[in-house]
Parts: sequence; C-alpha cells; structure tokens
Amino acid sequence: MGISRRGFMKLTGAGLACLGLKDLGLDPRPAAAYATTLRIEGAKEFQSTCPFCSCGCSILMFVKDGKFLSSEGDPDYPVSEGALCPKGAAFHSMHVSHHRILKPKYRAPGSDKWEEKDWDFVLDRIARRVKETRDRDFIEKNEKGQTVNRVESIFHLGTSQMDNEECAVTHQMLRSLGVVHLDHQARI
Amino acid sequence: MTQHWIDIKNADVVLIMGSNAAEHHPISFKWVLAAKDAGATVIHVDPKFSRTSARSDFHVPLRSGTDIAFLGGMLKYILEKDLYFKEYVTEYTNASFIVSEGFTFKDGLFSGFDPATKTYDRKTWTFDKDANGLVVRDKTLQHPRSVYQLLKKHYSRYDIDTVSSITGVSKDNLLKVWDTVAATGKPTKVATMMYALGWTQHTVGVQNIRLAAMIQLLLGNIGMAGGGINAMRGEPNVQGSTDHALLYDALPGYHPVPTTAWPTLAEYLKANTPVTKDPKSVNWWQNRPKYVTSLLKGWFGDAATAENEYGYEWLPKIEPNVEYASLFMFDKMYKGKIKGGFIYGHNPCMSMPNTHKIRKALTNLDWFVIGEAHETETAAFWRQPGFDPKNVKTEVFLLPSCQRGEKDGTTSNSGRWHMWHYKGYEPMGVSKPMGWMVVEIMKRVKALYAKEGGAFPAPIQNVEWYEQYDADLMAKKINGQFTRDVTVGDKQYKKGDQVPAFPMLTADGATSSLCWVYAGSYGAAGNLTKRRDHTQTPMQAKIGLFPNYSWAWPVNRRIIYNRASVDVNGKPYYPAKAVIAWEEGKWVGDVPDGPAPPMADPKGVYPFIMHTEGHGQLFGPGRMDGPFPEHYEPAETPITVNPFSKQMSNPCMKVAESDIDALAKNGDPRFPIVLTTYSMTEHWCGGGDTRNTPALLEAEPQLYVEISQELAKEKGVKNGDVVIIETLRGKVEAVAMVTVRMTPLQVQGKTLHLIGMPFCFGWTTPGCGDATNRLTVSVADPNTRIPEYKACLCNLRKADKVTELQR
Amino acid sequence: MPKAFFIDTSRCTACRGCQVACKEWHEHRAVPTLQRGTHQNPPDFTPFNYKIVRFNEHKIDGKIKWLFFPDQCRHCTSPPCKDAADAYVPGAIVQDEATGAVLYTDKTKQLTIDQAQEVRDVCPYAIPVRDETTGALSKCDWCIDRQRAGMKPACVKTCCTGSMNIGERADMLALAHKTLAKVKEKHPQAQLLDEDYLGVIYLITEPRNLYYEYAERPVRPAPGPMTRQAFLAMLTRPVTSMRG
Repeated sequence: MGISRRGFMKLTGAGLACLGLKDLGLDPRPAAAYATTLRIEGAKEFQSTCPFCSCGCSILMFVKDGKFLSSEGDPDYPVSEGALCPKGAAFHSMHVSHHRILKPKYRAPGSDKWEEKDWDFVLDRIARRVKETRDRDFIEKNEKGQTVNRVESIFHLGTSQMDNEECAVTHQMLRSLGVVHLDHQARI
Repeated sequence: MTQHWIDIKNADVVLIMGSNAAEHHPISFKWVLAAKDAGATVIHVDPKFSRTSARSDFHVPLRSGTDIAFLGGMLKYILEKDLYFKEYVTEYTNASFIVSEGFTFKDGLFSGFDPATKTYDRKTWTFDKDANGLVVRDKTLQHPRSVYQLLKKHYSRYDIDTVSSITGVSKDNLLKVWDTVAATGKPTKVATMMYALGWTQHTVGVQNIRLAAMIQLLLGNIGMAGGGINAMRGEPNVQGSTDHALLYDALPGYHPVPTTAWPTLAEYLKANTPVTKDPKSVNWWQNRPKYVTSLLKGWFGDAATAENEYGYEWLPKIEPNVEYASLFMFDKMYKGKIKGGFIYGHNPCMSMPNTHKIRKALTNLDWFVIGEAHETETAAFWRQPGFDPKNVKTEVFLLPSCQRGEKDGTTSNSGRWHMWHYKGYEPMGVSKPMGWMVVEIMKRVKALYAKEGGAFPAPIQNVEWYEQYDADLMAKKINGQFTRDVTVGDKQYKKGDQVPAFPMLTADGATSSLCWVYAGSYGAAGNLTKRRDHTQTPMQAKIGLFPNYSWAWPVNRRIIYNRASVDVNGKPYYPAKAVIAWEEGKWVGDVPDGPAPPMADPKGVYPFIMHTEGHGQLFGPGRMDGPFPEHYEPAETPITVNPFSKQMSNPCMKVAESDIDALAKNGDPRFPIVLTTYSMTEHWCGGGDTRNTPALLEAEPQLYVEISQELAKEKGVKNGDVVIIETLRGKVEAVAMVTVRMTPLQVQGKTLHLIGMPFCFGWTTPGCGDATNRLTVSVADPNTRIPEYKACLCNLRKADKVTELQR
Repeated sequence: MPKAFFIDTSRCTACRGCQVACKEWHEHRAVPTLQRGTHQNPPDFTPFNYKIVRFNEHKIDGKIKWLFFPDQCRHCTSPPCKDAADAYVPGAIVQDEATGAVLYTDKTKQLTIDQAQEVRDVCPYAIPVRDETTGALSKCDWCIDRQRAGMKPACVKTCCTGSMNIGERADMLALAHKTLAKVKEKHPQAQLLDEDYLGVIYLITEPRNLYYEYAERPVRPAPGPMTRQAFLAMLTRPVTSMRG
C-alpha cells in the first residue's frame, strides 16, 4: 500500500464524528487467523490447595494424559472465589520448575559433588545411620536417675509444607525413636 | 484465628497491626475491602508504609518493638473514657476476680522473679477462692485487688506523652487509632485484629498478642462475627503442623510434652488436667486423659494397654529446664552435641537468626537428611561460600520431595478449615511425598531393630507402623477409631468404626485418635474435608459461615468462643451479625461452644470453655513473663532509658549464647539504626520454591533494603545504589530502595531511622544476594522461643565493591 | 457485543497476581531483571510481559500516596495501531468482532523494524513491543482463547480484590461510572481514563500525572505526526481538558 503515514492519518481521521464503530476499522471477519484453541481443552480437573500462605486457596489443576498443563484459582472456594496472588498463580510453574530435584542425591563425606542414587540405597543407609546414632547415644536415665528414654543427638526440623497426614506419621516416628530435638516453622 | 477469612468482612473496624496482610495474605484483602465497602474503617499500624497501608483508611508508623506501649496506652484510654463493654467484661472476663494478696508489680518485675534463672515462680499469680473453692468475685469491679482495678493501675503509667515519645507515633495518630478502635466497645460495633509475624517475632511476642486480646475482651469483640484476634498463619499448613505438634514442647492436640517431672501417665495427667469446683465452668481440658490415651492407642495399638499406661513409658521425657527449641537445637549443633538428623521443607540457612551460626552448625553433623523439592541453601550447606567441601565430613542425603499437586492429603487454613487436596498426576522424576519418606525410613529402622536388637527397642517394636504411606488411612487414624466394641453414652460402636467426634473419645483405651481436635472430620459420614457444599441458612449466610464447606476444627465450629456473642439469655448482642442465638430451646447459627443452654439457665455455662475458670483472661497467669503485658525494649534497642521501668528488656527472654552470638549494648552509637525483616508477596519464606519459579524471580529478583529519603541523604545513598548493612553479627549487601514509605520517627526527642529488608534471597540463586538473617539476633520470646527478627541494631553505608549482587 | 475491562485501581493491592497469571497462561518465559530501587519489575512491557503493575509513590503535604497501575493494552474501540499496520501488512493486526479484542497476528513479523516502530508510535499508551528475535509485535491478547471458551481472562480471574472486571462494554461503563461516584466520596480527584474510546477502562484516584507518562493518552498532540487518538482527543477537548 503506497499510503504515507501522514496521509493515512488524514484519511482515517476525516469525518470521524459521524462514523460508526464498524466503519472505524473493525475487521468484519472474526479474527480467525488468531490461534484460538484453548490449550487446556480436554484436560481433567483436579483440586489442590496452594502451598504458600495460610489463606489455603483452592487451586484447579488441568491435567491431560498425565501431563500437568495449567492451574488457576478454584471459583468454588468461598474464601478466594477463584482468585490467586502471584505465588498461587505460579502454582504450575513451581511444579514444573527446571530446578526441582527429581532423584535422590547423595553426598559422601568430604566430597565436592552430589551423586544420584536409587531410593533403596539412601533409605537403607539413612535407617542404618539413625540406628547407629540412636544405639550409641540413647539415654535411658538422666544424671538424677530419672527415666528419660530419649536420644538427644538426633534432631528433626519439620515443615509446615507437610500435610496433616504426613505430620501425623512424622510425630509418631519421632516420639517412637525418642527424639526430643524436634521443631518446625511454627517457631519462626 | 478465632475467626476465619471471610468473617473479616463483618468488622466495623479492621486493625491490622503486626502484619502486612495485603502483601503476605493477599486474599485476606478481598475481605478487608469487603468490610471497607460496607463502611468499616481500616487501620494499618506498622513501621513501613506498605501495600496494606495503601489500601487502608490510614497508616500509622511506629517504632518496631513498641506495640505494648501503643496498645497499653489504648487500654488505659478505654478504661479512662469508660468505653469498655460493661456487661461483657463483668460477666465473661475475669475482671471481677480477686487476685491473691501476694501478687505485686514493681520496677518492671512481677512477684516471684528469680534473677538467677530468669524465670518467675508464678505461685502468687492466682485468685482468692472461697470456702467452696470458687473464685472470689466483685462484680462492682471496685475491690482494689480485682483484676479490673489492677489492670487500671498497671496501665496508668501508659500516658499519651510517654507512649508517643517511646513509640515515635504522634499524639494525633495515637488518638485517631485509639478512638476508632475504642468506639467498638458497644454491642453493635465490632473490631477485628489481624496480626502475623510482626507481633510474634519479638522478645515480647506473646504479650503483644495477649494485650491485643485483652483489648478485644474489654471491647466485647471476642466471639463476635467480625471480631476476634486473628493470627494469620504464615505458612501453608502451619496451622495443621502445629495441631499435630511438630514441636518439641507438645504432643499432637496441644498436650504438653512429657518431662522428667511426670514419670508416669498418672502423674502426667494429674499435673495437666485442670480441676474446677465451679459447675458453670466447662473446663474443657478436664477431658485431656481421653485425648492423651486415645493418642497413645493410635500410636501403639494393641501394645498400648491400661497395664503399661498405654506405652507412656516409651515416650521420651525432656528436662523441664533445658531448651530444645530450634534456636537452641542449632546452638547445640554448633557446639557439636547433635550428630545427625532430618530437615524437611525448611531452609534454616536462610530463615533462622544469625545464619552464620546455622551454616557452621550443620557442618558439625555426621549425617544429614533433607527432604526438599530444590537444592536449597540448607541442602547445599556443604558447598556454601567460604567453605571447602573437603573439610565438611557430613554424609548428606537429599531426598526429592514432590509438590502439593502430586499428592493427596489435607491442610488446615488459618481459619482452621481442614481441606482435602487431590493428587493430579504422578510426581515428577522419582520424587515422593515427605510422608512416604518417613514411612519408608521407619519401616527400615524397625526391620533393623527386629533383626539386630538395639538400644531400648520397645517403642520401635511396638509402634504401629504402615506398609505404605496412605493419606486416606492416616486421615482416618487422625480422626480416630474404636479399638473394640463399645457403648459410649447410649450408642453402640463396633471395633474399627470411625469415632463420630471427640466427645466420644474415652480414657480407657476403647478409642484411638492421632489428634483429638480433628475428631469428627472423618466419621461415619465419610471424609468431610472433601465437602464443597455452599448451603447455609439465611442466618449463616449473613455472616458468611459456609458450615458445609470442608470441615473446621473443633467440631466444625467456625467462630471460637461464640457463646460470648450472646447475652446471658442467649440473645445476640449484635442481632444484624448474629453468630449463634438461643431460639425455642435450641442454638441456631454456628456450632456453639458446647450444647449447654445460655448462661442464665441453671444448666448454662460460661463462654470461655478452654479456660479452667471459664472466663476471658484479662489477668493471664499462664504466661512465663507476667499476667499483664509490660513494655520492654527489644534485646537490641536504640534507647538507653525505658520510661516505664528500670527493666530494659524482657527479664525472661531466651538468649542463645555462643562465640558468634553477640548483642549490641543499649543505644550503641556504632549501630544507631533499627533493622526489621519481613517477607514479601512474590517470595515465600527462605525463597527455595519461589526463587526457582521464574515468573516470581522476575518480579522480585534481588535483595533490597527499604530506607527513607532522609536516611539516604544522610548516608549519601541514591535509589538503586548497593549498600552494606552491618550488625554485630555480620554484613549483607542490598540494593537501596529509597522511598517516601519509610519515615524517620521522633523517639525520646531524637530522630530515629528504621530500615527494612526481606529475607528470601540466598546464594544458590546466583547474583540475587544472600541471607539477610546473617544480621539478626539469637534471642527469643520466653513463651514461644520465637526469635526477635523484627528489631535489631544496624548501620548502613554505600558499598565500595559489590560481590553478592549482580549489577 | 463488544466486551470491556473495568480496572478499579482504588482496590488494587499491587499483588501482581495478574502480572504472573498472564505469564502463566501464555507460558511466557521469565525475562532477566535486576532490582533498581523499585518494586516494579520488569520495568516495562516485553514480548513476554503483556501485563505489568506499575508502582508510583509520592509524598504530598505529608501524605504518602502509593499508586498502583496494572498496565496493559487498552483494546481501543478504534485501534490506531491496526490502522497503522493495515497500511503495510493487512491482517497483521485484527480486531475480533465478537469481543472487540485487538489482536496481533503472526503477520506482524512481516512489518519492517521501522513499520513496527510506527505501529508502536501511534499507540497513545506505548504498549506494543517487538521481539527482536522473531520480529513479531506483541501485546495483551485479552485472553481471546479463554474468552471464546467462556472463561475470564487470566488476569481478571486471578484478581484478589475485584480491581479487575470484565463484561459487556455497556455494563462495564455503567459499573465504572457507578464506582467512580462512590470512590469520589473519599478521593475527590478520582476519574476514569479515556473511557469512551477504550475496551479497558481505568479508574484512578489521583491526578493522572502522578501515575506515569502513558496512563492516559496525551491531551496535547504529541510533537510530530498527530496520532489518531490525539486527533480524537482534540475532538473531545472540552471534556478531557478538564481532567488531570
């Protein structure tokens, strides 16, 4: 089109006041050329809960063929009514973050690197170290001769990221082992 | 929260203090603005003008660590102007109780202080009792030893001039806030108080909150819709993880941890089960034996019998006078006394105070297990800047944790709504739920003990354990089950049936429950945490209760202490916003605190059912550091004279002492500026998850320090310059954000500067800066052992060279 | 029926849920940013940021004003960018009849650098940006895919406080005027921005010069070629000159 910018402006500017919306350049065709398939079409919806603050916003996850495609606020949660703050809005990105640890890693004493290991290796080794330390340091009676049945040299710093059910098994394990140094973010 | 999120909309006044709700609980502002739309006044009292302040009717800056002075002045104002809710105060609080003669307060100390141990013997903090064992009361409130009179006397020192001078808040501003809040001392006016870590993270944290709660009691705002004292819990399931007590000092369900003082279950229960002679006091903790026994049954199953006190002996006993909280856990680790352990979903190398110490402490471990989604500063402690991995002998296991959307389970929001979430897809890689890790590790430990024996194997052999981690099974066990066929009341239950609610739990081993407060969430009707039903009665809808959505503990009660929202005849004080009402012989609305009829009825009960005496505690004898909150300066303070007493800091505060812990002296001229730390909207806690979520790092990429224009001028710093912030513990680089939103304060006639920094940026994200908590102090509140992150002394200068921040 | 957004900045807490939700829905990668002494980041639109929250602060007569402006394409009812682009590459910019959405297509890559700059120059709000790698011009697409599927745009859906609204244009205009009347009780200088010409109607509480340069179209014609919007502005001068 050999029309100069200034000319174009004049052209379209002329008689503006009496032109209708359509005459002002609305494309009469639907903008079909524009990519419009909904990328979550056909996905299954799963309800989750935001893993950040205690507003506990409900989140809908869209999953297709086992692939997590997208997430957004759940309009049925009466507290948020579908809204989310930026952290909640980034729920999907957080899940698929490039930085996530996807395999157990092991760092030997004095080593300068992680090694990838399978679950059996790390779990067996951890159980062994727990037992070694507990057997070595378990205190049945304190200096006054009172029964204390505890181990002071093993600690546990837990997390508000755990579900209630996870907290329950964790507490059960720790008291059974005799751990007394246990705490979590409620202390922050 | 005594309330729940939606209830904020019912307030006539919203006082946000010790919180930056719009930034840290963004959804809360949906309801703050709903209240504002309906005509409420929204007030933000905070050192910094934040996004919360921007949407409030007014913002009042105060010096960090002076909330008790501010609120103490408000309390004095309410009493002096006679603005309190008289019937409520007389009937429902302990204002009329007569305090024992031995109780005194002098020079900043209450009776019973032992300077050697820095603790109180609290035996004089009690009430006079009559021949029948009932508390002596004077409902005229005139008795000189009545709580009311003692309260009046205690806060008489908090006059507006002193308060203004110490807090840095102008008198105009003080009056504006006091007037607005005090105006809710009427039955049909109600204020809510929203707080968070801005109140807890002080050496007087608990007393900050207590004083706020006392004001709410005086104004008759507890139990009311739109009222209450609302802790906005900072983390996703910090409510639930506290209920389940991932804490050294409690067993699940708010039972004290066994100590050497209670070698047997009988002694433990005797010491911890309060008794009252007052028939009108529900004294709910009288049920503790039922809950503790059910917990032990849940843990040890058939091995827990009446003969072995349900396995109580197997539980570890702590020493009553030894510190175990995280601050001290790391202190012991630093001193080489802890050899191995676990951290799940927690980044103390960023989030604990004086992180130099935390980072060094971890290198003393022989072995260390971390369950995480990312390689955080804590996971990577062995290769942290300034350390040679060769010299770190720790064996480290990094277990890949899956994310929330990859597992089933429940979390509890700040309003105690207990909500199920569903696994959407298989966890990425071979990552697993943390619960799975715990179950698998313990399975293997049990197998080793079964095969080899070992130290005190009984609890390990006898603990009921699981073939695999199953959230549904655990949810059922948390709710509780009948362990045998049994009749409770007039109902029969079969072995294995789910317990309908906690009133059915028993102390004879017939029931199990891993956390009594959740009993009722998963009864015969199934898993109520999955409910998504919006049905409510018009009365419930008016205040937005949503009783059929999910399930709230306790027993689906949405507003706690709701019996205080009605008069002694069960008539709502604020009919337009009624929570419960006694109509035709029954309660309607919310689930009341117990089914008993209104208080005036011969069978009626007092509203504060969790307190032994049934009354709201204006005089609170349960705290470690006094029955009345008193202003003490932060452990590091820019001033040298406390106008309220000779006692500068909280006499009971907990201090972790080591060669790299140090406190600046009062008014230290080397560190004239007050530093406060905080979170931000775009990042969460230590930042492990959010710094590795690209869109969030894009929005808030690097560590900054917010400073006033006046301070910037004084220090020759321009907006965007890199500056060094220094305290006695360390130095940190940050980008200066020079802003009108920070205001120098006039404190005791001098200009005082306050600066603020987030703490989420760490070295594993290159160029973003490193831990702000290298600056903070290892001191804590004596009740909670929560560290004083909110106030310490620092100085600031323009950086000559930049090493931590990408420019 | 054309749609419109009504953005009530008097409710905005600048949580940036909209900024992030927009990126998430569009699967936009993050752009590298630095802290420069403000919370506003990225500093401006990029090919991967269709929505940014602008932060401006002032202290006037001792009163702190922190102003938030969730900025995005205004989806002009008669978009000058489309007119400019049509002159070179028809179909590079289209307008959706059903919603009024102004949409940049793949054909924007056919615009030369100068032509693309011209498209940008005619926008009174400095919205379009060119991706130097692909040559495409981009900006907010009003989540046309979501709208067509009956869903709210990502930013509106995620808004915590109800600052962002979407609906029929007539309804949004009515809501905007009704809200303005109420907001004026507390903020006498509150105003709507260019509401007659735009698909995205902002309510601001303070004089527009306290926000940022492009909050509203310039009321005086900019130096150089007069834009179509400037032309429109002149036609309506008696009204607009009273603003600001």
